[in-house]
Amino acid sequence: MEFYTNALSHVLTFGPLTAMIGATLLGVFIGALPGLNPVMAIALLLPLTYSMDPLVALAMVAGIYNGSMYGGAIPAILLRIPGTPASIATTFDGFPMADRGEAAKALKIACWSSAIGGIASAIALMTMGPMLARVTLFFGPAEYFWIAIFGMASVAVMVGSDPVKGMMAAVLGLLIGTMGIDNLSGQARFTFGQTWLLGGLDLIVVLVGLYALPPVLQLAEKCDLKGLSAAQLKLADAPFEEGEIRGLIPTWLRASGIGIGVGILPGAGGNIAAFLSYNAAKNASDDPSSFGKGNPQGVAAAECGNNADNAASMIPALALGIPGNVVAALVLSALTIHGLQPGPQLFHQNPTLVGGFMMEMLITSVLIFALGGAVATRVFAQFQRLPGVLLVPTILILMCVGVYVINGRPVDLWVMLIAGFAGYFLEKVNFPLAPVILGMILGPMAEQSVRRALLISRGDPTDLVTRPISAVLAVVTVLVIIWPLVKMMRRRRRAN
Amino acid sequence: MEKRQDIVLGLIFVGIGIFAAWTATNYKGASGTYPMVLGLVLTLLGATVAIKALRKPINQPRTLIDAPAKLVIAMLVATIYVALVIPLGFYTASFLLVLAMPLALGFRRVAYAMTVAVVFMSLVYLVFSVLLEKPLPRELILSVISVGG
Repeated sequence: MEFYTNALSHVLTFGPLTAMIGATLLGVFIGALPGLNPVMAIALLLPLTYSMDPLVALAMVAGIYNGSMYGGAIPAILLRIPGTPASIATTFDGFPMADRGEAAKALKIACWSSAIGGIASAIALMTMGPMLARVTLFFGPAEYFWIAIFGMASVAVMVGSDPVKGMMAAVLGLLIGTMGIDNLSGQARFTFGQTWLLGGLDLIVVLVGLYALPPVLQLAEKCDLKGLSAAQLKLADAPFEEGEIRGLIPTWLRASGIGIGVGILPGAGGNIAAFLSYNAAKNASDDPSSFGKGNPQGVAAAECGNNADNAASMIPALALGIPGNVVAALVLSALTIHGLQPGPQLFHQNPTLVGGFMMEMLITSVLIFALGGAVATRVFAQFQRLPGVLLVPTILILMCVGVYVINGRPVDLWVMLIAGFAGYFLEKVNFPLAPVILGMILGPMAEQSVRRALLISRGDPTDLVTRPISAVLAVVTVLVIIWPLVKMMRRRRRAN
Repeated sequence: MEKRQDIVLGLIFVGIGIFAAWTATNYKGASGTYPMVLGLVLTLLGATVAIKALRKPINQPRTLIDAPAKLVIAMLVATIYVALVIPLGFYTASFLLVLAMPLALGFRRVAYAMTVAVVFMSLVYLVFSVLLEKPLPRELILSVISVGG
């Protein structure tokens, strides 16, 4: 308890509070604009947080993450265009509700459901995170090595449709992570005589390129020249009727549970949580045929499910250093740029920061009640009148300024551009980008841990698998890698 | 075509893997072993992707680029922008980008684009130069004026 009261006293100060309010509003705005997503927004934000207090930086990440997950519901309900991939399931019943003149009611249900899902998820993070971190007190270099490999392997094989491409992406990230001076021997690796490469490729530069540029290029391809008309965005007031909230409670409880479960699993994201929650609500309903035709329970399930995934995905990220999704990987990057080593030791070395971030995830979820209401929704919906084609250069400029201020080096702009162009084509051939970033984050931890473990065991590699915890982690890692391959072979045999 | 795309992708990664493993042989001791192993694993995985694609009996079409002309324009304008940021200065290059990119993509409401450019660039200036005091590439026009003065 002292862990949280101490953290709360740091969070409830001017800097983090202002950052949470501003970022939640910004998150709703980003989510409301189709084409922009939380990953892109956080990737753009990270370079600007270098000089900030880490708690302020993480407050902004928490606000954008929770806010945008709700914001995605605005175009999903009004126009059947999901603002973020996680709000696809919201369109199923949200748009039919809007179609029969109940857009404001659907938005209100989405707002409440997002806030409730986010709060449940933050409570799960606050209870399960420290418990999991306590286990890590028994970890040595061998265990850290397996944790890093397990994290990468699980995300590599679960993200995307082809586990081999996922593993290829993770290994590419690991290789990029080896660039620069080797900390243990002082050997310069893959620098090709370039002094700017001695520190390796900057994680944030590559990240901004990989995650922000492909959506910008897709916006350019779509070439929206008109934006929306004012008539399409008109909303009327819609207060809750008596008993309406009570009727939604079972859906909220079910969706929160599903969202938290999905969030903890590495590789699964908010879209999966929303679909599973939607299906569960439909199966539990007395009238499943009303789903897809404007049933408010469908909106509540989808929105509660996708927000319940948010904080829960931080449980393995903060306690074990294994990011459950790309945003969790970005949070780990945020910690890295503030000189903090992601992984099990974080809870013991920086309790205020970790506890503070958990509180920020909770507070920003509560803020959605106030900031995601009808007035804010009306304001943010108006931005959809802006032609999409005008967003292309504005985001590109924000990317460049963000990347340039990191090191003040023009070469970083070229690295970002190349990473972005490569990311665009790689995504098109179903090559997942998340494992590349994970490889870059966890690679140095994996390499240093394995080399330290071998130094301690005087070069005996069996020590990596003979300690009880490391043996379990090794077996689980091998299973995680082999299982999708076995499934794939079985499917092929059945097809033959 | 999906099959051809995967073969090319696999071969590219075979190339990257072999290059990384070969380069790593020049590094001493453990600092070379790790990237060499990674290079070899990448080669193996790349070959697996290529071989899998070769053995695939059916070829499912997969669009690589939805609107090639728009994509090429966006990439080209973005590249020119990055090339001009340092010589022209950040604000000058960015202002030109906000005007040029929509026009190049077919947006013809120049007054609208100009208004967005002015409002957006003012916001960027306020946030990055005034509030956050971030050093950005110096404006060529200011250097010219100061030399002239």
